[in-house]
Amino acid sequence: MIEPKVILDIFIILGVIWTAGCALVVARSGRAIPLEQLEGAEARLRMGLLGGLGAGAIVLFFLTLHWLPYANTRRAELGSPAVTVAAMGMQWTWILSRHQVPADVPVEFTVTTRDVNHDFAIYDANGRLLTQVQAMPGYTNRLVYAFHVPGTYTVRCLEYCGLGHHMMTAPLTVTARPK
Amino acid sequence: MASAFAVPPSPPAITPLLAPDRANGAALRAALAYVVGGLGTFLLLGLLGLLMRLDQGGLIVIPAAWFYRIMTLHGAGMVATILLAALGGLAAAVSATTHLNARVLWIALILQLTGTSFVILTTLVGGFGAGWTVLYPLPGHGDIWPLSAAIAMYVGYLFLALGLLVYCLHMLYALARAHGGLTNVLALRYLFSFGRDTRRTLPRPPELIAAVISIDGIAAAAAGIVYLIPMFAHAAGVTSVDALFAKNAVLLFGHTMANLSIYVTAGLVYAALPSFTGRPWRTTWAVVCAWDLIIILMLANYSHHLYADFAQPLGLQLLGELGSYAVALPSFIVTVVGALTQIYRSGIRWTIAPTLLLLGIWGWVLGGIGAVLDATIPVNQVMHNTMWVPAHFHTYYLLGAVAFAWGYLFYMVRELTADRNPRMLRVAAWMYGIGGAGFIFMLFVAGGNSVPRRYAVHLPQWQVYARIAVPFVILLALGLAWFSWDLGTRFLAAWRGTQSAASEP
Repeated sequence: MIEPKVILDIFIILGVIWTAGCALVVARSGRAIPLEQLEGAEARLRMGLLGGLGAGAIVLFFLTLHWLPYANTRRAELGSPAVTVAAMGMQWTWILSRHQVPADVPVEFTVTTRDVNHDFAIYDANGRLLTQVQAMPGYTNRLVYAFHVPGTYTVRCLEYCGLGHHMMTAPLTVTARPK
Repeated sequence: MASAFAVPPSPPAITPLLAPDRANGAALRAALAYVVGGLGTFLLLGLLGLLMRLDQGGLIVIPAAWFYRIMTLHGAGMVATILLAALGGLAAAVSATTHLNARVLWIALILQLTGTSFVILTTLVGGFGAGWTVLYPLPGHGDIWPLSAAIAMYVGYLFLALGLLVYCLHMLYALARAHGGLTNVLALRYLFSFGRDTRRTLPRPPELIAAVISIDGIAAAAAGIVYLIPMFAHAAGVTSVDALFAKNAVLLFGHTMANLSIYVTAGLVYAALPSFTGRPWRTTWAVVCAWDLIIILMLANYSHHLYADFAQPLGLQLLGELGSYAVALPSFIVTVVGALTQIYRSGIRWTIAPTLLLLGIWGWVLGGIGAVLDATIPVNQVMHNTMWVPAHFHTYYLLGAVAFAWGYLFYMVRELTADRNPRMLRVAAWMYGIGGAGFIFMLFVAGGNSVPRRYAVHLPQWQVYARIAVPFVILLALGLAWFSWDLGTRFLAAWRGTQSAASEP
């Protein structure tokens, strides 16, 4: 799975590179020369960026197809779910069919709602967001996930749902798999 | 094939803001009202943002019901008022060479202000707190606000959509009339001939951009109305609405409204930056291609808001990701590179207006990096609805669109008063930039640590991010106060500068 903090690190690195680029342009903004002298370099830069960023975007797109969070992709990666947990959101609580699941097996959460939109998001004991799916009126969304670390997890609502939104949590315990 | 970057047949002159004989004075007065009204309201709504960060840092306590009302007003109001300021700037830029009917601009402004008034009243007085996205069916399930408050919010949005529609229709009409048809404003013959068909004079970049965003503005307004009609019907007890359809419609409306601001204000950079660099910004084939593509790409990527809605067809999810990557390319490669080329070795004098325009370019790209990361489906899986989301859109709003709009307003005042902006004002721009950067950086850090967005109460371990942000927000507010003070002392002179010689004493 992707670590949120790694994404933050990537953002910081790209942000620093971009800031350095801007600073360079500002540092060289004096001593005027005719714009025509830059047009060739500008065109080459644009073509280079188009080729580089365009190719990068296409590669990234195809790479991400292997990490889609949707049920079919997760089942193909983790196997058929061994445990199913029915989860229903309602203002402002979660009703789970069970609060304990075993580690190291695929678990399928069938997520729906009795009233408004909610978002079923699972946080680990360190406060890290692991996976999420929306709970939508009239729909049942299936979220497949395998826990590898036994312990206490927290389900939070991540779709704003009214006055008690920030209090809408439920515990989920992952137990070690019997040897 | 002709080079895609060949010099085009557009006139290379730098267009002054004031048309000969101040013929666009009436349109400029309306435009000033848009920009000043939009940015003035932005200041007040920004104070609400400071209150929310103080609450999330545990430094003050706002009751949850009031927090969510403030959050709703802050979100809806910011989208409306920043767009208002942006549209005003664009009207000013276009009016320099195209006749705009000032009366129509005022009508559109009154519609927008009426809509904003409904939003203010229903949140502060009516108790409405369903969030600016008014996501069905929450407005009808609030428990603490009456159905009438939800209806008032819908009415407010209807006025905002109508105001946008009137503005965009008039802009398209005026441009098409001036250029002999819409295809000429979009330079379609020039585009599809790969720059060989140069029989017609090309539109200036602000005119091209105004046509592009007017088409998308009409689409956004239509999506808003398509969303609101079933909402009114549902409120009347006539029908229920499919939740997935409702989400698609409201996000197409909201996403496009928010994106319009940044693209409109990017158009202002084309209009203002050349007067500081002394270099004309020509309508090249690349500029035409990039902006004509934006018409489709801006609408195609809204579905990246629905990645966590697993019921959404997979094709739309993938389109959201591809569209998000695609829309970044023309903006970066053409507008951003073009702006930096304008500046490089130009001998530019760094007064406040170009400083803010450059800050806007920096913030736009920085926010874009955060947005593209979040638009990648596996990343979105662990970032959606965390603080990463407000982090990236605050970056390209506050440090992008709003910086562009303030920069353009300083440019307008300079043009209308023939009075150079004081050099010391650059310090205020730095305060704005440093304060804004510190504020948004802490949002990104919170997002990277999985802190949820839209929570009235933050756990103790989350409060540190907001606490560190608060001094930066105060620095930002001081910079804005300095902007306002300076502009307040010169606004009347700028207003008089729009009046025709005949009306002067």
